[in-house]
Amino acid sequence: MSQAASPTPKQKYDLNFARWVYENVDGGDRMALCMQCGTCSGSCPIGTQMDYGPRKLFMMIRAGLKEKVLTSNTLWNCVSCYNCVVRCPRKVPVTYILHDLATLAVREGYAEATHSDNALFAKAFWWSATKYGRTDERLVTAKYYFAFGMSEGYKRGMANMKIALGMVRTKRMHIGMPHKVKETSELHKILAKAAEIEARNNNK
Amino acid sequence: MTTKISTKIISYYPGCSSQASGAHLDTSLKAVMPKLGVELKEVRDWNCCGASVGHIAGGHVPVAALSGRNLANAKEDGTTDFVTPCAACYLNSHYTNEKIINDEHVRNDVNEALGAVGKSYDGSMKVRHICEVIAKDVGMDAVKAQVKNPLGGIKVAGYIGCQTVRPFAKTERGGNWETYDEPHFLDDFISATGATAVPYKKKTSCCGGSVSVMSPDKTLHLIRDIVQEAADNGADVIATPCPLCQTNVEMYQGMINEKFGTHFNIPVVFYSQLFALSFGMDPNKDAALHQHLIPTDVLKARAK
Repeated sequence: MSQAASPTPKQKYDLNFARWVYENVDGGDRMALCMQCGTCSGSCPIGTQMDYGPRKLFMMIRAGLKEKVLTSNTLWNCVSCYNCVVRCPRKVPVTYILHDLATLAVREGYAEATHSDNALFAKAFWWSATKYGRTDERLVTAKYYFAFGMSEGYKRGMANMKIALGMVRTKRMHIGMPHKVKETSELHKILAKAAEIEARNNNK
Repeated sequence: MTTKISTKIISYYPGCSSQASGAHLDTSLKAVMPKLGVELKEVRDWNCCGASVGHIAGGHVPVAALSGRNLANAKEDGTTDFVTPCAACYLNSHYTNEKIINDEHVRNDVNEALGAVGKSYDGSMKVRHICEVIAKDVGMDAVKAQVKNPLGGIKVAGYIGCQTVRPFAKTERGGNWETYDEPHFLDDFISATGATAVPYKKKTSCCGGSVSVMSPDKTLHLIRDIVQEAADNGADVIATPCPLCQTNVEMYQGMINEKFGTHFNIPVVFYSQLFALSFGMDPNKDAALHQHLIPTDVLKARAK
């Protein structure tokens, strides 16, 4: 894991992490305008299943509770419905901020983040998207299931076998090699360069 | 009298699901769009958009570069409209395009990455959802003009989901074509085929998206509520524009029945399949009604 890019507050209400978020997180500049109305948390389809709703999470960022923020399941339970984004009276792009905090939590190596279902799924997904240029739903799902270990992978595979066989039967899951882009080397060159720029940006 | 329709050529970005779980959306759109005067020119050698999770593993610039390559290829092909039927593809492509226009850093980063293979992109494509094209450019009169086999008597719950309309449908650059909470385009599509759009409050509720794919335990109750209201309101089928909504709401009905003791078995189809059927086209070859986990007999029985 790369070194932590964001500062860790030394005491309560130390604003150094909050300021970093305002400046570095996608949409963070608008987050400074949050007035704690709770429209976001109230609009969230699974807000009740989050450790903290977005409203509380934003206040926690201001309170300097960096670790609690970056290890909360709030980041992994966001279903990306964008209700909060379109309803926020201060136009805070809540979903984008949660996505970016999730990326940050993984990048900074918090175990709760790197072992989250979302991060494991993202890893399998990104592998397919970048290797083939396309998402292979079969391989992504299998890789994701077995990221939890052999026995859990087997268990998850069996639990979904009926659906998988149905998808094959209805020709919504093909047998054979993965679909891929024709110009794979071109795509790989673009992505290698993009990863280099990303690393450069993150280490600034 | 036949009405002569002028053909509009658009760049068509089908997205990865078009070759897998959402194949029936792709098949039915390719069948009906030419009849609506729209020629789909597939984006040359398109790649994945990064969906809802790419950023976690890949980061900003690589995810933006994915859309950047697609948009650059479409532009090289000389079209102006970059159109996709997939909610997540639309979200990512539109978002990246806007960033490229409005954020100098993103524009430079994407172009530096594309520059590795001598490509560049300036943000000049118009990224649109295909439903916006159908609602605004085609219009319901042109759809109705193609209906040779009206689906009268079939009750449909129009389920739109999230990213087709949120967060861009009410923005100027997003075409300013719909509201976020009470979009009516899908009910208009359904009515145009002669079917009945039943009242449906859950139309923009979330199916859990990719969270439902990775951890259905977290979100099965969301899908249960979506199906429940459709059932309560007497729907024969649920229709949706979103490939992930279609798959989630269809494939998990069995699991929901086991978990909640319900007895759901409602087919979930795409609006484009209803179009194909009502246009009198082949129920399998064109409407792809054979590609469902929950049989679509109620629709197949109406094929002409």
